[in-house]
Amino acid sequence: MKTLTRSLVILPGLVLGGLAVAYAQAPAPPPVEFPYAGNRTGVWIVAQLHILFAAFILGAPIFAVVSEWLGYKNQDPKYDRLAKEVTKVTVILYSMTALTGGLFIFVLLATYPGFTTWLIQHFFLIFAVIYPLLFILETIVLYTYFYSWDTLKGEKKARHIALGVLLNVVGTVTLFVIDGPTAFMNTPAKSAEGVSLIQFVQSAGLWDKVANYSWMPLNLHRLVGNVTFGGFIAGLVAAYMYMGAKTDEDRSYYDWMGFVGNMIGVGALLFLPFMGYLLAYELCDYDASICPYMMADQLSMFFEMQGAMVGLIFLASNYYIWLSMKRIEGVEQVRISGMVMVAVLLIPLVMGAAWKLFPPPEWQSLIFLALLIGLPPVLSKLPGLRFTVSSFTMIKVGFLMIVVANAIWMTPHGFVATQALATEELELPSWASELALMPAKNAAAFTLVFLTVVNYFLYNRAIRSGTIIWGKIDFASQFVLIFLAFSAIWTMGLMGTVRSLTRKYFHVYNLVPDFTPEAFTPTLAYSAWWITGVTLVFYIVVSFAIVVTLRTTGQKTEAPQAAPVPAGAE
Amino acid sequence: MAEQSLTRNIIKKGAIGVLLGIILAGVAKATHFPFVFQVMFFIYAMLGAAVFILLDAPSLRRLEGIKAIIGLVLFYLVLSGVYIGGASGLPQYDPEVEKGKIEKLLKARRARTQQGKAEELIARAKALNERAVSIEQQLKILGGGVQVVEEAAAPASSAAAGDLVALGKEQWELQECYNCHKLFGQGGKKRGPELDNIGNLMTPEALRQKILDPKSWKAEGFDKQYKKGKMPDKYKDLMFDEEIDALVAFLATLKDASVNTPKPIKMK
Repeated sequence: MKTLTRSLVILPGLVLGGLAVAYAQAPAPPPVEFPYAGNRTGVWIVAQLHILFAAFILGAPIFAVVSEWLGYKNQDPKYDRLAKEVTKVTVILYSMTALTGGLFIFVLLATYPGFTTWLIQHFFLIFAVIYPLLFILETIVLYTYFYSWDTLKGEKKARHIALGVLLNVVGTVTLFVIDGPTAFMNTPAKSAEGVSLIQFVQSAGLWDKVANYSWMPLNLHRLVGNVTFGGFIAGLVAAYMYMGAKTDEDRSYYDWMGFVGNMIGVGALLFLPFMGYLLAYELCDYDASICPYMMADQLSMFFEMQGAMVGLIFLASNYYIWLSMKRIEGVEQVRISGMVMVAVLLIPLVMGAAWKLFPPPEWQSLIFLALLIGLPPVLSKLPGLRFTVSSFTMIKVGFLMIVVANAIWMTPHGFVATQALATEELELPSWASELALMPAKNAAAFTLVFLTVVNYFLYNRAIRSGTIIWGKIDFASQFVLIFLAFSAIWTMGLMGTVRSLTRKYFHVYNLVPDFTPEAFTPTLAYSAWWITGVTLVFYIVVSFAIVVTLRTTGQKTEAPQAAPVPAGAE
Repeated sequence: MAEQSLTRNIIKKGAIGVLLGIILAGVAKATHFPFVFQVMFFIYAMLGAAVFILLDAPSLRRLEGIKAIIGLVLFYLVLSGVYIGGASGLPQYDPEVEKGKIEKLLKARRARTQQGKAEELIARAKALNERAVSIEQQLKILGGGVQVVEEAAAPASSAAAGDLVALGKEQWELQECYNCHKLFGQGGKKRGPELDNIGNLMTPEALRQKILDPKSWKAEGFDKQYKKGKMPDKYKDLMFDEEIDALVAFLATLKDASVNTPKPIKMK
């Protein structure tokens, strides 16, 4: 019955999509005016909402199948319950993805009929055949995966996990396919010698258009971003459920779930700055004029905001580790070599200098990196350098350096929205201009990543030698989990906005101009209002889905599966 | 007890933060950082203090039922407010500046599309219609036989009047050449050569060739940029012939021999 209801929701989404493609074949009617927000913002809202749901339904199954596999491997029912609960929420949100997807196509066709028709014609095979087929296949596999949970267990569990892997393969292929037209809008192609871009695109095959400059970097960025997203949303689910839990057993389970969600979210987050860098590098390589537009001109303050958000996310994720460690009995005994602390203090300086001397992709900077990581264990064995510090001292020093790294990341060349307005009163003094350049920013990003790894290393050491009491974590940690999910979504919205805006006044960069009056870069403040609005709407829907699926039905059926409060870390 | 401890924690760390902030701002001032950066360093010190206050803060009491819901809603509202406020507090790019630029860039392109042609015809028809209505009204008021004085046409701007060099300078701005090339001491980020003396080093034909095919010429000392293809190969698609003519005419006038514009090397 549930399947029927959900299918009835998804079907209109697919039908909407199909109708939209058919509608696109008709002569382009005049565009409609999107009420209140205007056409550009209207498309922005619907597209961003759709992408958030899509990111969740692609990221959560990766999280779920890894969790299910861990449960199978360790014969630990907690992981299986976690995987099933996340999948339950995914199933509900799958319908929302289909609906917002259909709505997105319709809004796009109504507001930008000429361009949308043009785009559909160029990617007809994808929009009309490949993407719908993949979506249908994914729907079938997802529902089979979810509804076969209780039948494919015991000896058949491996088959169920294989089904989960298949779901992720289909999901990833779907992502890669739809990234083709998206990336094409940013980097359609480079002009070949003697051939104009228009001529090239007119004669190019589908593959030539899909495998464009930014396609693979976008795929990787979104894939890693989706895993981060899945982890943080699992943390959000855990936080809600922990807050509403009535028994110690439930509290211990959701405390543990929050920890796992955060760990996977942060684990993937460590790669995100580098994936983002790769995407930005490719965009700049495609057209060098995109770089100043992003970093020194109209979008420079968007990146300032991004620096603030990334800094806050790293601070919060490390604060969660701190709160987790505080409830481990015997954590005071855990110590670490003082040389690691020294290395942590030196990171920004050493790596900033290394990248200044040997900018990426030159490999020599890796020598400095290897020395920073490899030397502390070696030096700490030398007489006179064998001093140790407590884990709490180490983490506090780490927090100090996180603040320093955030400060470096956020220091702009000038406090101006465009370099054209820069004056001496608003710019860094010339002797300190290095602070605003890429080597310093890379060093800051690396410091954040390195410190988070060190903190997890300490945490693992603490749970091996101490006793962790699940369910007794500081209640503030639940707000940290919620903060992480909210901030990660907000940052996704911000960076999605940046990626779209790098097309400047084009629908397809350098190829299809946007002749509407809205083809300008909106202000950061205006963007922030809409990003916050979309994040809140997404949050309300997700919160509703969590409450409906887990609070009303989950506890009665799932409670017996919850593991008792673990006595130790294992 | 916990509240006392929290208060003490806030006062102690807050005081250290303020002290550190003042020291940082003082050092920044002494080392010629502008005021806005001094404020920024002070804020970073306070952020550090806030982090250390949180690290040593007592555990939060468990919230249940309606209190938890209110707590959550307030938390979301505070987060939303902080993010919107933070983004709004940063310098904002004025869209009007870009709108003017885009209008200039796209006007000629729009006019060449079918829709653009139709819009132009409609606009002309509307203008004619308005003129006819206006004449009719004046005739009614003044009676027959009165000559209607035509409004003087707006004086054409120097650029519109055919000043090719001025149009070329406008193209320099519109195509944002200044992002990579320094000129008159402004712009440029070492991606491309300084061009103040380019008119003495390249003929108009060579300049045109370089714009249309960036790989045709290389600036001496810019091997890395040339190899990486830093100059976008897009202007042959983006600019109309007359726009390129104007830009070339402008560049050909740049003959300031006191500036060391790198020597162009023919590659094709």
